[in-house]
Amino acid sequence: MAFLLEGFQTALQLHNLFFAFLGVVIGTAVGVLPGIGPMSGVALLIPVTASMTSGLNPAQAATSSIILLAGVYYGAMYGGSTTSILLNTPGESSSVVTALDGYQMAKQGRAGSALAIAAIGSFAAGIVSLIALVLLAEPLSNVALKFGPAEYFSLMILGLAAVSGLAGNSMTKAWMMTVFGLLLSTIGLDSVSGVARFTYNISFLYGGLEFLTVAVGLFALGEVFKAILHNEQNNDGIAKIGRIIPSREELKESTGPIARGSLLGFLVGILPGAGATLASFFSYMLEKKISKHPEKFGKGAIAGVAAPESANNAASGGAMIPLLTLGIPGSGTTAILMGALMMYNVQPGPLLFDEHPDVAWGLIASMFIGNIMLLILNMPLVKIFAKIIETPTKYLLPLIIAISIFGVYAVQVTTFDIFLLLGFGVLGYLLAANDFPLAPLVLGLVLGPMIENNMRRALTTSNGDFFVFIEKPISFVLLIAAILWIVVPFIMKLKGKSVIVNEDM
Amino acid sequence: MVRKWVSWLVIGLVVLIFSACGSSSTTKEANTTTKASEKLNYPTKPIVIVAPSGAGGGWDLTARAITKVLSETNLVKQTMTVENKPGGGGAVFMAEYATQDTKNDYKLFVNSPPIIINNLKAEGNSPFGYKDTTPLAQLTKDYGAIVVKADSKFQSLAQLLAEIKRDPKSVTVAGGSAPGSMDHLVAILPIYKSGIDPKMVKYVSYDGGGEAIAALLGGNADVIATDASSVGEYVKAGKVKVLAVSAPERLGGDLQDVPTMREINIDAEFTIWRGVFGPKEMSADAKKFWEETFQKLVENDQWKQELEKQGWQSDYKNAEEFTKFLQEQETLISDMLKSLGMHK
Repeated sequence: MAFLLEGFQTALQLHNLFFAFLGVVIGTAVGVLPGIGPMSGVALLIPVTASMTSGLNPAQAATSSIILLAGVYYGAMYGGSTTSILLNTPGESSSVVTALDGYQMAKQGRAGSALAIAAIGSFAAGIVSLIALVLLAEPLSNVALKFGPAEYFSLMILGLAAVSGLAGNSMTKAWMMTVFGLLLSTIGLDSVSGVARFTYNISFLYGGLEFLTVAVGLFALGEVFKAILHNEQNNDGIAKIGRIIPSREELKESTGPIARGSLLGFLVGILPGAGATLASFFSYMLEKKISKHPEKFGKGAIAGVAAPESANNAASGGAMIPLLTLGIPGSGTTAILMGALMMYNVQPGPLLFDEHPDVAWGLIASMFIGNIMLLILNMPLVKIFAKIIETPTKYLLPLIIAISIFGVYAVQVTTFDIFLLLGFGVLGYLLAANDFPLAPLVLGLVLGPMIENNMRRALTTSNGDFFVFIEKPISFVLLIAAILWIVVPFIMKLKGKSVIVNEDM
Repeated sequence: MVRKWVSWLVIGLVVLIFSACGSSSTTKEANTTTKASEKLNYPTKPIVIVAPSGAGGGWDLTARAITKVLSETNLVKQTMTVENKPGGGGAVFMAEYATQDTKNDYKLFVNSPPIIINNLKAEGNSPFGYKDTTPLAQLTKDYGAIVVKADSKFQSLAQLLAEIKRDPKSVTVAGGSAPGSMDHLVAILPIYKSGIDPKMVKYVSYDGGGEAIAALLGGNADVIATDASSVGEYVKAGKVKVLAVSAPERLGGDLQDVPTMREINIDAEFTIWRGVFGPKEMSADAKKFWEETFQKLVENDQWKQELEKQGWQSDYKNAEEFTKFLQEQETLISDMLKSLGMHK
């Protein structure tokens, strides 16, 4: 605790407040713009912060620049929801699910509520995960380490079983899309054996299909094509923005999802390699499962925005735990943060809290301050952003196309990915027009490599013995949960209760 | 009203995008030529150094360190920027570079042993190798390390090898990269050199060195192979023990007590070198300029500080020495891949 207070002293110094503020402002912008995700945002800013802090002594410079860079990181998590909600164009992979209900809310004129609840949820989650980080960093990092390939595999299987949470009208179609997603995920160099699959010696395919390209193509461009072909501009473009501040009822509806999303997101975030994207998917599916009105999801349920947005923010807090306590980056962005620390001769690792307490605690304290800044910053912005929805379709559609193409090119820097984007746009339109849900495909694409690699790692370790998955207690529990998730609705249906199992609702 | 809004929005977006993208390149203004190259007709335009990977990795950090020091010390007065070209462990970038940029004197790139490995291995093969480039200089080196948990039952490499020989299925070896890539070769090298069939070894690949260390600490791997420079902190904290390094002589610092493979009678050595390459048909002027510039860079104090910060060891080879070294490396790596049955 004394350390935390000292951390606050560091973080409340005027220049550090300024750096935190700058970080969160840039982060918000980075999050709003598709293409420049948190990862490239942080990477681009490393050289800039280096020259900005060059006047300070090395230890202070390290603290200040890491405060700024971390600000960009969680600022981007706040901002990421904006384009998902307003334009159905996810700014980064962790806000793909937010588009499902967020965009529907915007269409109904509830963009203000959606954006506000995303900001509030992000704030609550940020604070929850920070408190957990302060209190539980050490024991949790040890638990995270125990999560081996077998446990990861079972967790991902649970994620797949939960895919019903993303289904629209038909479970069959949802499963078809999941399998299609899994198939697409096998393209590229297999990272376990190094064998090239479905690459046809095209070097662009060695790395597999980029997740964000596929998601933006399916969701954003698919929607644009639909709008053009169905001439929706009359009713769609002038959707009235309702109130900016969510109603008391909406707030009440969101409390549970925010709390659960924060907790779940934090736990998933701690696991190296799982990350914010999975956290957002998992929390969305959980909310739909336990909701009293699962039929509202996908049609503008506020819980469908609150939960994933809380989860992805909490995950970014959780991801700091393995980074700070063990020097193990859990995601691409934390890997870059680690690189930045090393540039200042601060080696993240098991000794960070002992050797550089000022840096570690200063950073944690600044994250508290940064989250408060973000809430204050984002609430007025909601009003401004929400107006985007009033833009007439004839301007909005070209804008979405431009943003999508720019965003994808900015990340991949290949024209190949632009063609891929267009291809998935057409596919997204065709699938959506025939009532195939798109989210399961995207989930399959994320989960595919993780399921496969972890299963093979586990089996290599156990010399091919499949019992490894049920011998490990955590893995066993997760598998049981996955089976129940699928089986329980069938049993309930047999008992005559009305639940969604297959076809029709 | 609405129209005004849209135009403001667009302007705002454009400004943000440019400020975000341009920020890394706002170093010095494009000046005329450098003093050293007054006789040379190079460089007259901004220069790009490509890291053929995502941001944050070893190639990226190397490229950024080079550009930072070269522009801050005015060794290069033209603007220098770093570009990331991820994909296929560098293969995606090579395919483009070796076909479209063969005469582009203003685009250099950073690479390490994978430029040879990718070219030789059977799966995920890159048809282009170092022979499709002009090697300019080797700047740094690192070594492989064989690492176990501090409380592991293996307290020496000899013990570990004996156990693998006795029952290869009982030991899980892990690394941060795919089979046939660098970590795998580092792990396999001592095993192969001590007469065990490397195909018998149980090798599990993780996504990156960080995940591999996590697997080791969590007890999901018995031994891992990784870069020697990245394990120092874990050794200091008493979490891991390094059994051997693939260096010709002992390293300093936290690893000073770690024997080399040679010391324990295993005839193995593997250097993780990093260097800079130019296009195959680089003009004589450009080549001369970079040879002189890198020579000055390695003597520069700021560069030495930068190396220390990053924990890299300096190991400079000029273009000629580097090219010769690459030939030797190709033979060595080729032999190893053949022994693994992974040669193309």
